[in-house]
Amino acid sequence: MEWNFAAVFQHFGYLMEGAVVTVQVSALSMVIAIVLGLVVALVRMAPILVLRMIASVYIDIFRSTPLLAQLVWIYFAFPILTGIRVSPFVACTISLSLYASAYLAEIYRAGILSIASGQRHAGLALGMTPRQVMTRVVLPQAVTRMLPPMGSQFITLFKDSALVSLVTLQDLMWSAQSLAAFTLRTVEVLTVVAFIYMALTIPQAFIVNHLHRRFGAD
Amino acid sequence: MKYQWHFEVVWENFPIMLSGIGLTIALSVLSMLAGAVLGMVIALARLSPWAALRGIAYGYTELFRTTPLLMQIVWVFYVLPLLTGITFSPFYSGLVAFGLNIAAFMAEIYRAGITSVGRGQTEASLALGMTEAQVMRRIVIPQAITRMIPPIGTMWVSLFKDTSLVSAIGVTELMYQARFLAVDTYRPVEIFTVCALIYFVITFPQSIGVNWLYHKYRTRE
Repeated sequence: MEWNFAAVFQHFGYLMEGAVVTVQVSALSMVIAIVLGLVVALVRMAPILVLRMIASVYIDIFRSTPLLAQLVWIYFAFPILTGIRVSPFVACTISLSLYASAYLAEIYRAGILSIASGQRHAGLALGMTPRQVMTRVVLPQAVTRMLPPMGSQFITLFKDSALVSLVTLQDLMWSAQSLAAFTLRTVEVLTVVAFIYMALTIPQAFIVNHLHRRFGAD
Repeated sequence: MKYQWHFEVVWENFPIMLSGIGLTIALSVLSMLAGAVLGMVIALARLSPWAALRGIAYGYTELFRTTPLLMQIVWVFYVLPLLTGITFSPFYSGLVAFGLNIAAFMAEIYRAGITSVGRGQTEASLALGMTEAQVMRRIVIPQAITRMIPPIGTMWVSLFKDTSLVSAIGVTELMYQARFLAVDTYRPVEIFTVCALIYFVITFPQSIGVNWLYHKYRTRE
C-alpha cells in the first residue's frame, strides 16, 4: 500500500484537541485518586473492624473487575439508578478516579507497613505520641517508598484512559478512530496516534524510572 | 425515583452471557501461552551479546509498554490487514494483539527474574568449574523461576480483566454480550451489574491466589 500522511497532518489540530482531553481526564483523575486513595487507605487501617472491612471490599471490587465494566456501569447504569445525569467527561473522571484510588490505597498501605515496626516502638518508647510517630518517623520514609509505584500507577492510568473513547468521551483514541473513519487513511492515522501516545508516555516512563532508581527499595 | 429492578432479563439471557465467559477464558489462556513463548524469545534477545538484537528487543518492549492496549488492539484489527493483506477474525486479531502485548511484559519479568539472581553466585559457580550452561540451568534458572511466578500471576489477573477490551472490535466475549444485551433488553442496570459481578466472582479468587503466591515465594536474602 501507499503511505500518505497528508490527511493526518492536515487534521493534526483535531488530534491534538483529543490529546488535551486525554491529558486532562487522566491528570484530574489522578489528583482525585491521590486524595480518595488516602482516605481509603486510612479507613483500611482504622482500629474499627467494620470500617476496615468496608475499605477492603471497596478495594477488592475495583481491583477485581475490568475498568471497562466499571466505566460502562457508571456511564449507563448509574444515571438510570439515581436519576443523576452527568457529562461523559465527569462520568469518566469519576470512574478512573475510583479505579485508581483502589490501587493507590494499597500502595499507601504497603508503604506505611513497610516501615519496620521496631521504629514505631522506639518512637513510642522515646515518649512520642502515635501521631508524632506517624508524621515524623513513618510517613517521611513511607512517602519516598510510595513515589515510584505511584508513578507507575499514573502511567497505567494514562494508558487506560484510552477506554473512555468507548463511552464517547472525545479523547485522543476517540479522535483517532473518528479521523480514521472520516479520512479513510486508517493506517496512517492510527500509526501516528500510536506514536503520539508513545511521545506522551515515554517522558513519564523516564521520570518513573528515575524515581525507582532514586527511591526504590535497594 | 425508586428504581424497579428486573433481573428476569438477565436469567433469560444467561446462556448468552455464559457463552461470552467461555470466550473470555479461552482468549486469556491462549494469549498467556502465546505471550509466554514469544516473551521468552524477546527476553533472550534482550540479554544477548549482540547490541543490534538487544536494541530491537528493547524497542519492542518499549513500544508495547508505552502505548495503550486499546490502541494496540485497534491497530492490529484495522491496520494490520491493510498492511499485510492478511485478514483475521476479531478473535484472532484480539489474540495477536494480546499475544504481542503480553510478550513485552513477560520479557521484562523473565529478564528481571534472571538478573535478580546475585552476580556473585554466577561467579562462584564458574570458579567452581561449572560451565556457563550449567550455571544457568542449575543455579540461576531455579531461583529466577520462583521470583517470576508472583509477577506472572499479577499479569495474568490484569490480562483476564483486559480481555474485556476486545468487545470494541466485536469479539463476542462477556463484555460484548453484556453491551449487546443492555441495548437489546433496555435493561443496562441489571445487565451491567450482573456482568461486573460475574467478572468479580471469577477474578477475585485469582487475586487471592496471587496474594498467596507472593507470600509463598517471597524473596529472602
